[in-house]
Amino acid sequence: MASNDLGRFSDPGLLILASLAGGAKHGYAIMEDIEATSGVHQGPGTLYGAISRLEGGGLIEALPVDERRRPYRLTQQGASFLRQYLASMQRFISIGFERLEA
Amino acid sequence: MSPAIRAWLTRLYPPSWRNRYGAEFEALLEECLHSPLDVLDVILGAFDAHLQLLNGENINWRLLNMLNKLRSTVLMVFASYIAFIIAGISLVGVLDDSPMVPLMQTDPAPAFMMAVIRIASVLALLAVIIGGMPLAITIIHHALASDRANIKLLLVPVISFALLVLYFGIVFLIGTGKIQIAGIVQAVQPNNFPLGNRLLLVGLMLIFVLGAIASTWAVWKAISHTDIEQASFHPIGRTVNINLYKFAYFPAVVTSVSMVVMAIATIVWSKMVFSALPQVFSGNFGLWQTSTQPWIYGIIAVMVISCVTAFFGVARGRSALSHA
Repeated sequence: MASNDLGRFSDPGLLILASLAGGAKHGYAIMEDIEATSGVHQGPGTLYGAISRLEGGGLIEALPVDERRRPYRLTQQGASFLRQYLASMQRFISIGFERLEA
Repeated sequence: MSPAIRAWLTRLYPPSWRNRYGAEFEALLEECLHSPLDVLDVILGAFDAHLQLLNGENINWRLLNMLNKLRSTVLMVFASYIAFIIAGISLVGVLDDSPMVPLMQTDPAPAFMMAVIRIASVLALLAVIIGGMPLAITIIHHALASDRANIKLLLVPVISFALLVLYFGIVFLIGTGKIQIAGIVQAVQPNNFPLGNRLLLVGLMLIFVLGAIASTWAVWKAISHTDIEQASFHPIGRTVNINLYKFAYFPAVVTSVSMVVMAIATIVWSKMVFSALPQVFSGNFGLWQTSTQPWIYGIIAVMVISCVTAFFGVARGRSALSHA
């Protein structure tokens, strides 16, 4: 899997990356953060499907288990991917607004 | 949702996925499995995980399988080493006060083989200490910090060692004449080895062997329970990150190779000694003045089985590292 191809889980993957950009979190904290910031509820199956792909792609990494919960954090590769993705989204949004206002 | 339903839902995922994410996923389900839609999401997630596996898409589970294999390598080599040590100590017991000792003072060939065994045993011990130290420190630290079940397990080797020291203390006091027990003499001779002294020796061997088995079991369980692969150490003010099982792999190989060297040297040494002193082989120089032959064959058999088990573990670790 290429690191910039998140497959069917592209949206959950991006939401997780954005959540981890704010600091390391375990699964339940990621779910709560995503729900609070974007209003999207991710089920546990969707969440861990995305986590396994992101970890497999080297975009996030696992930290030692803390009381059965394993926190994850963004890798450098993950941060760089998120930055590039958000920058391209920003350009796309700017173009969209410019065209609407023209 | 009940624990049984959560466990059933987790079991829908492929075993390799469960190895990696099962425990944390079940912990998450305890907190967030509220609606039938969440249950459906978990079922779809399991379906997706199977598809991922069929497509050979995932990298991460393989990494976990590698770590599990490396962990089993370390455990198998450690358990084999303990069995080997028990056999080695039995060999020392057979040698003790036998005509084999004077033979080695005059014949350089068996003396050389015994030196090879000693050097290899020091190498094996050093490798076990070097490879096992970071793991032992991490497990003790983790047990003291958060894992109460592991504290009980780690007490097993401590109690076994304390019992052994206590027993040695009693034997020492009997040997110096400070304690006198009916039926036990202060110093045994080949022609005066009473039943009481034999039972005392059997007790010592039992405490040693059972303590070693219980301690190995406890260490095995403690390592299996501890889900830590990496640890940071701070020697002389510098931070060193160690991947515990990868770090232990090379010492495990050194231990296994040393065990093979010891086993071969023991076989060659036995052949030399028994060619020179056939009466020893057919005599009663085994522990507790029992027949020498079954003891030597038994010791060599345990050594060979230990080596084969250790190398099976090393091969697993090698295959895990080469597929990483």
